[in-house]
Amino acid sequence: MIHYLTDPFQYLFIERAMIGAVVIGILCAALGTFIVLRRMAVVGHALTHSALPGLVVAFLMGGSLFAGALTATVLTAFGIGFLARDESVYEDTLVGMIPNVMFAFGILLISTTKSFRDLFSMLFGNILGITDGDLHLILLIAAVVLVALFLFYKELKLFSVDPNYAKTIGMPVNAIRYGLLLFLSLTVVVGIQAVGTVLTNALLVVPVASARLLTDRLGRMITLSCIFAVLSAVGGVYASYYLGTASGASIVMFCSLIFALAWVFKFVKSACLRKGS
Amino acid sequence: MKFPYCSHSHSHPDPHAPALEIKGLGVSYLSEGKFALKDFDISIKAGSAMALVGPNGAGKSTLFKAICGLLPVRCGTIRVFGFPLGACHNRVVFLPQRSEIDWQFPLSVLDFVTMGRYVYLGWFFPCTKKDINIARDALKEMNVLDLAHRQISQLSGGQQQRVLIARALTQNADLLLLDEPLNAVDVTTRQTVGEVLQKIKAQGKTVIVATHYYDHEEGRYDGAIYLKDGKQISGTKDQQGPEDLGCDCP
Repeated sequence: MIHYLTDPFQYLFIERAMIGAVVIGILCAALGTFIVLRRMAVVGHALTHSALPGLVVAFLMGGSLFAGALTATVLTAFGIGFLARDESVYEDTLVGMIPNVMFAFGILLISTTKSFRDLFSMLFGNILGITDGDLHLILLIAAVVLVALFLFYKELKLFSVDPNYAKTIGMPVNAIRYGLLLFLSLTVVVGIQAVGTVLTNALLVVPVASARLLTDRLGRMITLSCIFAVLSAVGGVYASYYLGTASGASIVMFCSLIFALAWVFKFVKSACLRKGS
Repeated sequence: MKFPYCSHSHSHPDPHAPALEIKGLGVSYLSEGKFALKDFDISIKAGSAMALVGPNGAGKSTLFKAICGLLPVRCGTIRVFGFPLGACHNRVVFLPQRSEIDWQFPLSVLDFVTMGRYVYLGWFFPCTKKDINIARDALKEMNVLDLAHRQISQLSGGQQQRVLIARALTQNADLLLLDEPLNAVDVTTRQTVGEVLQKIKAQGKTVIVATHYYDHEEGRYDGAIYLKDGKQISGTKDQQGPEDLGCDCP
């Protein structure tokens, strides 16, 4: 029985995929907690879609896909932040508009390449195809973002619950906001490696939504989100190996399954409590 | 070694300067061209309790936000304890209206109140036992110590208000700006808030309270500042009562 668990690891690409998926899962879940609680999930969704033209331009020019995606997402994140700073255009309007324009531009560029295999990989990711270089980059970005979240934990808490108070005590809230957007851009770019531009936002949001159903303590929420993300990553990679399914979609389906279980658990628990009282 | 949020955040107040001195203040919101507050002048001596009276939209919150640096000053000057804006963050605390806070955030009451100590901690350093004890004392002062481990999402309106004031007490500021702290709260909270305001004043701190209820609480304040349509209205309460301002007093 145990060989079902160990067999896949005879292949180096599975080992890389498993490490990459787990690290990306933890990164997305930890940052995703603040993104969801700050009600910025829609911004994450926007950034994932904005990466496409950067990826395509980098692909066409033979450059680094990572650099292409990062440039596109950072430009979008900071563009939204800049244009929304004086509220002359609502932020949600920009979030609804700019990524769609970027995504359309990306599709337009892809249509010139006549290669739909590349389109599939960019849209839905391919964690099984990551190289050693990709894995090192994922580990480096995860280390930077997770250390920053640890160091600025209390500032992120205050910035999320009461940004005006944070500003009145001299906290540079704009720098924190742009920092969060930068971390989100970095996370989205590595998330694209695992599940592609279309599904990355699910990694940021679904494990956190599942944890939110089970706890109302921030520390526990982050821990549970990370556990759910790791379970989804491991389950997704195994499913992809044994069933031959798309790795990104498999990871996201595991996330969704955990959400469904958490919802049922909460529903049953609430029903029992109501019955007991 | 400390890493303050702002390089000027720990200047000590000048004991001889007024707590708040404003000259020719004009404030507007970034998205709007017109002034939300215009030609505002005031000098409030340290240790006094003032009411800021006016109907909704008069500019009370705008004034507080300008004093705290939340809104840019378009013209005029604001000096707090003799210092320009932003030079003594730890000495000024603004208590916003409850609706401006995300009460659904997963945080305990004690964690929330302890945030009042962040201005002293700065970057990287977590709260110490001493900070937590200060927060607990503030909760006790507001008669809500039993709620310390409850989630802020489970508080009633009156409890939210008391917890907000507890956070302000935790900061131990010298100038407190309270934006309608008595709006839509229960009688117990109203009594507790009133008693605490008296204690704060007795400690030599300066309090400015934006309120609709000046008629009922006149005795608590040393004076009142009247606002209407973003303009300061001169005169005493006898000459210019809340009814003339269009306040919806009960």
